[in-house]
Amino acid sequence: MKEELHRLNCFVENKPGVLARIVGLFSGRGYNIQTLSVGPTEDGTVSRMKIDVLGSDRVIRQIILQLRNQVNVIEVTVRRKTA
Amino acid sequence: MWKHAMKSKQQVTGAQALVDSLAKAGTEVLFGYPGGAVLDIFNCLPDAPFQFVLGRHEQGSVHMADGYARATGRVGVCLVTSGPGATNTVTGLATANMDGVPLVCVTGQVPLGQIGTDAFQEADTTGITRAVSKHNFLVHSADELPEIVAEAFYIATHGKPGPVVIDVPKNVQQALTDATYPERVSLRAYHPESSATSAQMARLAKLVNEAERPVIYAGGGVIASGAAKDVAALAHRAQIPVATTLMGLGSFDERDPLSLRLAGMHGTAAANYAINHTDLLIALGVRFSDRVTGKLAAYAKKAKIVHVDCDPASIGKNVRVSLGIVADVKDVLTTVSSRVKAAEHAEWLAQIEEWKRKRPMAYKPMHQHVIMPQQVIEAIDNATKGEALLVTDVGQHQMWAAQYFRHSHPRRFLSSGGMGTMGFGIPAAIGAAFGRPDRKVVAVCGDGGAQMTFEELVVAVEHKLPVTFVVINNSCLGMVRQWQELFYGKRYAGSILSVRGRLANERLEQDLKYDYLPDFVKLAQAHGADATRVIDPAKLEGVIRKAVKSGRPTLVEAIVEPRANVYPMQPGGQPVEGMIFE
Repeated sequence: MKEELHRLNCFVENKPGVLARIVGLFSGRGYNIQTLSVGPTEDGTVSRMKIDVLGSDRVIRQIILQLRNQVNVIEVTVRRKTA
Repeated sequence: MWKHAMKSKQQVTGAQALVDSLAKAGTEVLFGYPGGAVLDIFNCLPDAPFQFVLGRHEQGSVHMADGYARATGRVGVCLVTSGPGATNTVTGLATANMDGVPLVCVTGQVPLGQIGTDAFQEADTTGITRAVSKHNFLVHSADELPEIVAEAFYIATHGKPGPVVIDVPKNVQQALTDATYPERVSLRAYHPESSATSAQMARLAKLVNEAERPVIYAGGGVIASGAAKDVAALAHRAQIPVATTLMGLGSFDERDPLSLRLAGMHGTAAANYAINHTDLLIALGVRFSDRVTGKLAAYAKKAKIVHVDCDPASIGKNVRVSLGIVADVKDVLTTVSSRVKAAEHAEWLAQIEEWKRKRPMAYKPMHQHVIMPQQVIEAIDNATKGEALLVTDVGQHQMWAAQYFRHSHPRRFLSSGGMGTMGFGIPAAIGAAFGRPDRKVVAVCGDGGAQMTFEELVVAVEHKLPVTFVVINNSCLGMVRQWQELFYGKRYAGSILSVRGRLANERLEQDLKYDYLPDFVKLAQAHGADATRVIDPAKLEGVIRKAVKSGRPTLVEAIVEPRANVYPMQPGGQPVEGMIFE
């Protein structure tokens, strides 16, 4: 299946272990994250993660559903990134 | 975020707060194993209002909690030490995680200040268990403990249930706190409750009313949601046949003429043919496992698929659906039932009857005086009048238990479906017996899986549990052997447990005193259980009847035909046309 670059925006609770949980969903599938940045939002208890990753639409959709199932994930959005 | 009860001025240790919180959360039985990093918690157990059950290996303790949870619908609770105690829980957690079983597992941890120093019995428990649990916590302060316990029980039971790990460093157990157990739990980011929209309900009713060849396909989610009666009501109202997954066995009474019984790799021909020909597959609380679908592109290819599940990530994961509804199965069925019109589907049901008649679940004895393994399951069914709470291990016997027992009630068939964990059977049956002392618990194991967690048998003996452990001994790892026979040129590497029949390069002396080890009867007796070996098919049912009736922990070793295979079989990745019958 065709792999394309996706940009995910995740808003998560600012707690230890959350980043590892999220990154694990990608690495467990053998997906290599190309860019990752994590920073605080205006609300210090919420962090924002920007993740660029190559993957098929189908698998990325599945990862997003599983991200939303995570106890510490508040919101996830995605868009395809044109190179 | 939290509604605190009145703050008590009295301070207790973190360990005491943990034990108090477990009690508040409803713990009745705690399974586990002690060690250095949980001594403070164990020090509080003599005064705890719940029972502690000492397993003999942490994997066994988690499977016990799991069996308890599956049998009762309550949360199974488990306590183990740090390092090896925690790593030994991994298989048990993964088993519960795959099958959506609510567990809370408390692990000890080295003091916070020593984490990361390679301290004695230190392991990165939250790191290790992340991928095999629904969620986990590392507790940083005794003040957090009551809240975290309440959250853990909430997460374990809401949305798709699953295991939650609480890792508690030793200094947190020893610190003082006056924190109290919260009255309500409200998590900022986790809101798994979801219900169907009225448009979805209308669409569902319309699809059901318009279908000519509908099939209900019921899974473990039906049992978890307590919706078995609602499934039966829908099936009867519109005369819809019902197939189940392995996890869904018991969600619909197999003695009902509408039952298609088990679907999938080792399911009935009628179930798989019906799914292949249906125009509407009503999938309730399932996840379309690869063991069920076979070749995805060919699966239910004539059907519109409706998928109702509490887990949004399950919908559309493996099969395309016409209508996906993220909601509790029971809620959906209660609402939709009044909009579903009574129907007959006479032609469709006649076709299904013909499939059932042409391809019944059947086996032929291979030798007159040798027990067929399927016979053992039938004997358990007869000896308990179908009332057994049947717990299986994993392998051929598991499939025979699925096929040859008349499953009629929810929570009476416990099996490791997703993970396929050998060693599950004995401890899970023990856990089930703690949860349901009123049931006749029968564990069915193969000789391979029984050896993986046999040590737990002493727990059944110590507590005088009325559990019958049936070891179906075919002196091989039957499912592995079957695949080697069918797909790997009959090269039986590593799958033969008797000396006879082993490959030459497994280098066993052919003149060993024993052809087969261990002697299960002596082994069970050494654990303090009653034990009988049965070889004669004519005596089989009587021996099982006597064991069940004795009310004592009893092992029955049935020596069976070693070359029996599980049929029918739809090999992995094949379409339904590829089903093999013998």
